[in-house]
This record gives sequence, structure tokens and C-alpha cells, in this order.
Amino acid sequence: MANPGMLRLRARTAVLAALLVGASAAPVFAQTLSHFPDPIFHDGYNGLAVSGTANISASDASRFLAQSTFGPTDADIASLRSIGYQAWLNQQFSATPTYEITDLPGKTNSAYLHWISNVLGEQIGQNNRQEAWFLGALGGPDPQNGIAAHTDQLRQRVAFALSEILVVSDQNPLLDGFPQGMAWYYDILIRDAFGNYRQLLQDVTLSPAMGVYLNMLGNQRADASQNLHPDENYAREINQLFSIGLVMLNPDGSVQLDSSGKPIPTYNQSTITNFAHVFTGFTWSDCDENTNPGDFPNCGPDYGGAGNPPYGDNFMHPMVGFASYHDNGTKIPDDIAHKQLLYYTGAAMSSGETSPGTLGPGGTPTTDLAFALDNIYNHPNVAPFVSKQLIMRLVTSNPSPAYVARVAKVFNDNRTSTTQMQAVVQAILLDPEARYGQFWKPTSFGKLREPLLTVTHFWRAMHAVHSCGANIAASGTPGTDGYQYPTNYGSQPYRYAGYSTAWSTGLTTTYGVGVSQASLDALTVFNFFKPSFMPPGEMTSAGLLGPEFQIQTDSVIASSNNTFQSLAYNLDTSETCDENPNDQDFDTYGDVKINHAQDLALAGSHSGGPTDPSDRLIAAYSARFMSGQMSPYMFAQLKSYLDTIDSSWAYPTGSDWRLQRIYRALYLVLSSPEYQIQK
Amino acid sequence: MRCDRRKFIHDTICAALGGASLYSALGNLQVLQAAVRANYAFSDYKALVCVFLYGGNDSFNTIVPYTQTAFNSFFGSNGVRPALALNRSLMTNTVLSAPTSGAGSPGDGNQYALNPAMAPQAYKDSKGASQTSADFASAFNAGSAAIVSNVGTLVAPVTQTQYQNGNPALPPQLYSHADQEAYWQASPPTNQPVTGWGGRIADLVASANTSSAPVITGLNGQDAFMRGQDVNGYIMNANSASTINLLQGNSGPLTCAGAANAYDSGAAQAFCNLQASGTQANVLERTLANTMNHSIATANLINTAIGSAPAFASPNEFPPELSTGYDLDVQLQTVAQLIWAANQGNTGITRQVFFVTTGGYDTHGDELATHGSPGNPGVLSLLSRSLAGFYNSLNSVGLASKATAFTCSDFGRTMTSNNGGTDHGWGSHQFVIGGAVQGKKFYGNGCGFAAGTNYGVVMPSLTNPTPPANVYGSSPNLNDSGDGIGRIIPTTSVDQYAATLARWFGIGDSDIGLIFPNLANFNTRYLSFV
Repeated sequence: MANPGMLRLRARTAVLAALLVGASAAPVFAQTLSHFPDPIFHDGYNGLAVSGTANISASDASRFLAQSTFGPTDADIASLRSIGYQAWLNQQFSATPTYEITDLPGKTNSAYLHWISNVLGEQIGQNNRQEAWFLGALGGPDPQNGIAAHTDQLRQRVAFALSEILVVSDQNPLLDGFPQGMAWYYDILIRDAFGNYRQLLQDVTLSPAMGVYLNMLGNQRADASQNLHPDENYAREINQLFSIGLVMLNPDGSVQLDSSGKPIPTYNQSTITNFAHVFTGFTWSDCDENTNPGDFPNCGPDYGGAGNPPYGDNFMHPMVGFASYHDNGTKIPDDIAHKQLLYYTGAAMSSGETSPGTLGPGGTPTTDLAFALDNIYNHPNVAPFVSKQLIMRLVTSNPSPAYVARVAKVFNDNRTSTTQMQAVVQAILLDPEARYGQFWKPTSFGKLREPLLTVTHFWRAMHAVHSCGANIAASGTPGTDGYQYPTNYGSQPYRYAGYSTAWSTGLTTTYGVGVSQASLDALTVFNFFKPSFMPPGEMTSAGLLGPEFQIQTDSVIASSNNTFQSLAYNLDTSETCDENPNDQDFDTYGDVKINHAQDLALAGSHSGGPTDPSDRLIAAYSARFMSGQMSPYMFAQLKSYLDTIDSSWAYPTGSDWRLQRIYRALYLVLSSPEYQIQK
Repeated sequence: MRCDRRKFIHDTICAALGGASLYSALGNLQVLQAAVRANYAFSDYKALVCVFLYGGNDSFNTIVPYTQTAFNSFFGSNGVRPALALNRSLMTNTVLSAPTSGAGSPGDGNQYALNPAMAPQAYKDSKGASQTSADFASAFNAGSAAIVSNVGTLVAPVTQTQYQNGNPALPPQLYSHADQEAYWQASPPTNQPVTGWGGRIADLVASANTSSAPVITGLNGQDAFMRGQDVNGYIMNANSASTINLLQGNSGPLTCAGAANAYDSGAAQAFCNLQASGTQANVLERTLANTMNHSIATANLINTAIGSAPAFASPNEFPPELSTGYDLDVQLQTVAQLIWAANQGNTGITRQVFFVTTGGYDTHGDELATHGSPGNPGVLSLLSRSLAGFYNSLNSVGLASKATAFTCSDFGRTMTSNNGGTDHGWGSHQFVIGGAVQGKKFYGNGCGFAAGTNYGVVMPSLTNPTPPANVYGSSPNLNDSGDGIGRIIPTTSVDQYAATLARWFGIGDSDIGLIFPNLANFNTRYLSFV
């Protein structure tokens, strides 16, 4: 298919471009220094020290944490090195989960959103949901008491990965109005992140947020008299996106081919129609269908008000099945009596049925749903499908088939375990390919960092806190029109509110601002990017996947880099807060900021310039941000520029000139291709 | 660059067909196959410009009866909309000289006029001289613009009887902003709005452009319209492309040497050296660097084009005295500049789709003031002078026939009014303007006020009221399509409207069937407005 002439042309062009760069822009050393990671900053290949600690270098630890957390910090690197991989994983598996709206047992209002609504009296908005998400993602002290620390990084990281497979989004207009429902959904992912995937499928299926997003909520059995047919949306996506995909897979995740070399479909349209008929009869848990028969289609979300459940209440309970609206195969001809679901060797069937995967008549909404979810979960595709996607979210875009097979085997070996996903996540992270793939495939290992994960990494590594923001008292009478909820953002270092967590992460319908990514904010059920995306050009030619590239369009890459620049150059904790509500730029929410001065000692020791070089700062950032993988070429590029910065650069006058080195070093690292590819 | 770009598209399509794209919706493969088969190439240039009016324009108070008797029936004290009555004496500049009978007429034998808010806008220029702006009625009466009446989201034709009695196939969530915006732009939205029809058209014609200029560009944010299966819509600001701030020159094009200040010139050089094409060790790094370089080059291309283009700032174009700085006028001025630049010599750009947007049309209250009036311009004033200014700009450089601009909006609004405004409706009238437009005419099934069988299949009639029996009880409203508060059932589908534009753009008949799957449900595929 490839045109050889075209390939030759491109090869020549690339060489030419390299020569031009060398000749016109880069300093002389550009042609001699390696673009591969610097061996000086990497302690080398010493074998996998799962239980011991001696062999874990700072670089190894940083790489591991890049795959398993929202970004390594100097402290976490040191901690991992002192206890070893397995002990660190065990700590993570037993760490207290950070939920958004689910209180811990016996701790009323311990969840962030309950705290702000029930204790602080605020009204929960989508921006608060993002604050809750950042609290889990950034970890550290809890804003309620500043002492209890959120340390469940691995759980949060896996939950985020799951949120990009089992997608719901606040881009849906109804979900946008119910942050409670979104938070309750995310809490399912947090709770089940180390649990069993069958359980996760069920919890997600019955969540009102998913029910609304993919139309299973309120889905009714057929009624020919009204020309009414069950909606196929959820039936299609649970199969295509959440479990088995479109084509049959081998246990190593590769595509099975038939005798004529074509992929084998996992199901056909009839399968989807049959699933759609099973997924009927479920709606809000407080629907009054039982006391008021026929009201099923009219049940809706709770909007609060006197005498009613609180706003959003039924978004926080699993959906419930109602038999009269559920197709159980007995109301012929509207129902389908014998529902052929996924057909595969060994698929279970109802008693009296003859074809594997067939659900017979007479069930209840609950038993029929269980049959359908078992039918999906037991399909041989599930293990490689889910395993490969989790590897891609955490470690590398192009895992070897053997790596996928090893993880998929763990998935299957733990099919009935309540800690199945814990075993899967451990298998992903401790696999030799995760730990050493950068040496085995140095030219193609790794993945593009998601822009939101660049932001979390930056803030974690630089110890960001929230600062400024206002405390504004409530006004008016609660429960009446015009009541103004209070705002409590003043002196709240761990409420991650403000412009840079909401607007600049893309929490608006205007795509293309900020980094264009926020938790549960994808434009479609296909996530911010599709797992099958191959970036055009060299990677497509080589057959390499690069899902995260799909979000980095021409315009988004510019806006996200500009966001990185403003994070690196601005938003310092030393900025004075505008506390006067009468001022035009009065800051209600405050913002997340870092203290750039924390690295002053690394940035220079007297007056800068070549005699007070920047080597220590660059080396520290290579370790902190790049797992020590900065190439000699990049090191020299940064040094060549940063060494020109001296005390005459101080701005404003009287400030420490070394800040200028820090700003620029941070941005050049964050924007560099070497950093952006997590290897 | 040229070879690579074409190959990228080809490879992506082939990869998808070869089964690599496991997660593509099955239906979308058809479009990909069409793209492979079509292999479009053009010797001329054409641009489609979608003007989206967010909120749902009340087109029934935008295009109104002018013939005295009809005006009285509509706005008079016992008429349809006394609460939203316009001042007929102010409409002398906005009367539409379409035929009053037969083809091209509104269909009811009456003459129509535009809301006086759309009259030429008087202003003082920087020298204090009195000027008047461009306006839509002038373009219409000169034969460069048309009105397509009662367009809306439809799966298949729907009659009033079907609507009232049966369960015809209907677009989901009628009368909901987000859902109807999505339907208008995606037609139909498949579950979630995965692709829009602008994006699907762009997918088909992308390979016809050899330039790296974006084939589909949004000037005020992205929406479903812009999303293709392969083509990613390019998003720019109203008057410039997003650049890397570090590399932003104080003036002129973006280069690695042009840092914002002397302190950052070294940073810019280091930045560029780290992004140098082809130099990185890892293929993912090289791919990201190429994306960055492409972004920089595209922004450079666009900003250079804008910088070299005429300002289009004369009174009947986009006078700076009236500029909003960001809104529809500035967006269309920029589009005109980009179209001008694409037509300077052999640029390799033959087809472009643009998406410009404006808001403020959700007129639940205070509708008359929101729409505007002479001396107090409102959203319709901006729309009128922007559409006409766009046409006049291109006409001044001989390119008017290269571009067709057309409006879309969430939905029309109810015939009934409430508190000085109107509620969410369904069918609505839309404007089309451009040198290729068969102008000075109405298209579609009439403006909606005709009795009889030829027009307004299910339209309410002033002379033949159809009070419905429904959940609201018997409606007292004369104009009522069936739900009791005057929501008008569309008689032309978005698909027919869009297919007509796609055909002008050069998309083949069979491909149009693929990108508008519901078109098969209608007897007439195309209107003749362009």
C-alpha cells in the first residue's frame, strides 16, 4: 500500500531538515550529542527488585510513579526507594479511598462535596466536582482538618483510567445539572478500582449517570401499538467500548482473523437488539411506578423543593427494575422470547434453551440483567480488551502481545476474586516490559502524557496549594428565591478551586481553551481520544497507536502549551490576593499556585551567568519531571540558554534573579517532546 | 509536506478499513469508504460558511408579513402576535421584493419584510461623516441572497395528524437547546454527536487540498458541526490563530527568532531546537514535535494570510466604527480575508468549510429590544450587516460566487408569546447569501401562513385555524401545529437544506446519501437555492 517513492522522498526531507536545523539554529554540539536518555542520569539495568529496595534508583522510582500516580514527587520517590515496589503497592491497596461524595464509614460529611454542602452550606456545582477530583488527584492534606492525608494515588490513577474507558460526561446537558450524580458515578470507579470487573460493570450499568448518558434509564419494553422499541444505545456501547470490542481478540489482544484473513465480528445488529430488550424496565430508584402504575415514563430526577427528596438525591442510588416495563420474553409479540446474546464457546444459556448465550423467558429485571452481564463478562475478549486498555492508559501505547497476554492471564486467573483488579494493576506495573521497556524499545516505548496529567504532575512535583479566594456570607432566606449561597474559599490551601482547575482544564463547552481536558468532560462516549487512534505520519506507517495524540490538535497543542507556560511563569503563592469585593478583579475562587522560590538553591548560588551555571537545576528537573531520562542534547540546549540568565535579569527590580531561571526551565521542560512522552 | 499530508489521510482511512479502528462506529465506515472511492479533486475554489445562531432565533419575528392585511392579521390586536408587533412604517428599507406568487414567492400571495432591526445601520465614521452599513434586504433584493422557509430537524416528513395522533419518528428531545443544536449540526446525531455534517463534508474533500491550511475552521470555538471522522476542525480566534505565546512576535509572522522580548529570544531558540523536526530519538517524540511544528506553521499560515488580505473595512463591509471586536462581524471579516488569501495564485486550497457563531437568540423575554430596532441595534442588526458585509467584501474582490454563507439555529420559536418573548419551537426560516445563490426568492414550503394544500403541509393557517386537542386541552391559538402553544412542524429538513449546500460544494450524489442517511426518507433531495 505504501508508495516507495513517497517514503524515499520523506526520508530525504527529514535528513535535509535535520541538516538545516544543525546549520541554522542549533549550536555546534547539536550534531554530536545524543538524543537518547542520558546514561549519566540513569543508573542502569539492575534487575527487577520487587521486594527488595537496593536496586531501585531514583530514576526507576520516578518512572514507576509516573505510571502509577498523578506524577512523582521528590518525597514519593524517596519513599518508594526506601520500601520497594511491593511494599509501596501494598500501602496503596490498603490506603483509605478518597471519595467525592461518599462518606467514609462512621464519618459523616468526610467526603469533600458533602463537607462543602452540609457543613459549609455551599451549593454543589460542577466546578466543585472538579475540586473534589483534584483533591484525590493531587493528594495530600484534607481541607477539613489539614491533617488526614489523601495518599491513595494508585487507586485515583486507576479510577481516572477507568473513567476514560467507561465514559460519562458533563457535556450531557442533564448530567451537567447534577454534579452529585457525576460524583456518585466517579465514586463507583474509585470504589471498584481494585475490585472485580464484573462488579464494576454492574455498578456502572445501574448508575443513574450512565443510565442518563446512554439512555438505559427509562428504557421500556417494546410496544407495537405505540411504535415503541427499546433504545439500543447502552446495549451497543457496553459491548463495543466497555468490555469486548467489535472484533474477536486472541488472548494476547491481537485481532483474530478468519480463513480469508478478515477480522471476525464479536456480534451483529441482532445481538445488540436482543441486549437492548434486556436493558429495559430500569429507572430512578424512587419512581412511584409500583404505587402509581403507568408512571414509569414520567419519573425524573429529584429537583428538591419542600416535601421532596433533596436535589439530585435519586442520582445517588442505583437504578431499580420495574417488571411491567421490562421485556422478560413473555409479552409476545412485543417481547423477544429467546434472546440470543453473545454467542461463544461455553456461553451460559437459560434452562431449556439450545443455543449458547440465549436468555429464555420468565425472568425478572434483576435476573435478566445478571444473565446479560455474565454473558458479557465471560466472553473471552474481556481480559485482553480491558488489560490492554489499562496498560495503554498507565504505561505504554504499544504493549507487546506477550505483555498483554501476561496481564490478561492474571485477569482471568482472578475472575471470581473481589480483588481482581488489584492483581491486574499489580501485574501491569511490575511486568518486566513496564519496568524495562524503555531499554528494549528505546525508539517507540511510552505514551504521550495527557495534558491534564501534565498539570497534575506539575502541581504535585511543585507542591501546589490553593491561595487567595474569598469568604462571602450567605444572604437571603434559605429555600426562597434569591437566596445566595455562601462562598468559603479564603484561607483554604487544599480546596483546589479557581480558574486553572475549572476553566483552563476545559470545563466549558468551548473546546480549545486551556488544556481541553477535565475529569468526566469528554465530548463524546468515545472519550477525549479513541484507543485505536494512530497519529498520521511515521507512527501510522509503523503501525503504532498513539491515542493521546488525538486530543493534541493544531489548536489545542498551542493552547495547552500556553497554559503550561502560564503555570510555569505565573501563579506564584507570593502574589498578593485582592480581598476587596468592590474591585473589578476581585477573586472569589482564588487559584492553585506554586512557590517558585522552593528551587532557588538549585537555580544558582551567586550572580548567575556561565560562572554560576544551571546544571543542578536542570538535573533536578530531569529527575523530578523526566525520570532522569533527559538526553545530553536537551541538557545542553537548556544549559546553553539558562546559563545566560544572570542577576541583571531580576524582574521586578529587587526580586531574586534565579526565579527567571526557574520559570524558563520549567516551561522548556514541560513543553519539550522528551518530557511529553512518558517513557 | 504535500505528499505526506495526502498520504496521512490515505493511511488513516486504510488503517480504519483494515480493522485497526476497532472502536469506530460501524456506520461511519461507510463515510470512510466513500472518501476512498471519491478521491475528490477540484479546479476551482469554494467555501461553505455556517453561521450558527445559538439560542434558537425567532425567525417568525425576523421575516414578517408586510402586505397590510397580512400584517394586521399577524400583529394586529386580534392577530397572532400582538405582543410582539413591529412598527410597519419602519420597514420601508427592509421590504423583500420576492415574487408574491408562484415559484420563489413566500407562498401566501403576500409581500414580506425583515424586522426593521435589520435595516441599514446609520453611524458616524472616524471623520464624523454619516455612513450607513450593509444590510441583508439590499443583498436579497439585488439577487444575492435567499430565504429558506420553515426548515428544521426531521427524521422523515411529519404531518400534523401524525404528530397529534401517532408516534412518528421524531428527532430526540425536540425543543431542547443542546439536543437540537446537536441535531442541526450532526443530522442525525448518532447517540452522542460523534460527527457533524460540516466535518463529514470536510472528510470527503480534505484530499482535494494540497495545502496544509485547515479544511474546516471554527472561529469561535468548536461544536459538533466541525467534527469529522478523520478531519479535526481547526479552532482559531475571531481574528487570529492560536500561537505559542513564547514565540509570539510583537508584529509579523511567528518565527522561532521572534520572541516576545529580548529575554525570551534564547528561550524561543531552545524551544525550537527541542522541537526540531526529525531529530528526536523516540518516534512518539518526533510525532509530537511534528504536531507542534504543524501547529506553528498553520498558525503562521493563517496569520500571514490575514495580515496580507484587504481589511474589508469600508462602510458596506466591516467598518471599524461598528466592530464588536470578536462577534459575528469580526469572524466573517476574517473568513473573507482567508477566502481572499486562498484565491491568490496556486495555493493548493480548493475547498474550505468555516464555522462562525453568535449568541443571544434565546428570547424568552424582551425579544423586541434583543432583536433591535433602528437606532438601537440588536442581534438581528449585527446579523444583517455581518452577512451583507461578508458578501460585499468578497464581491469587492470578485470572489462573491466562491462562497455561500448560510444560517442555522437551534430551532424556531413558538407562535404564541409570553411576557414579551417566545418559547422554544421547531421549524424556522434561514438565510442564505453568496454570489452563487439564486437570490431574491423564498424556498421551501412557504412562509407558513398559507391556506391550502401546496404550502405549509401541516402549517397553521390564518384563515383555517386548527385548534388541537392535546395535553394542553383545546388551544385558543389560531396558529398551532398541534401541541397547543404554536410550535411549527418543519416542512423542509435540515438534511435537504444541507444536501443542497453539499451538492453545490461538489459532493457527489451517492456520497451525499451516505453523509445524510435520512435524506432517503424525503421525496425531494435538493432545493434549488444554490
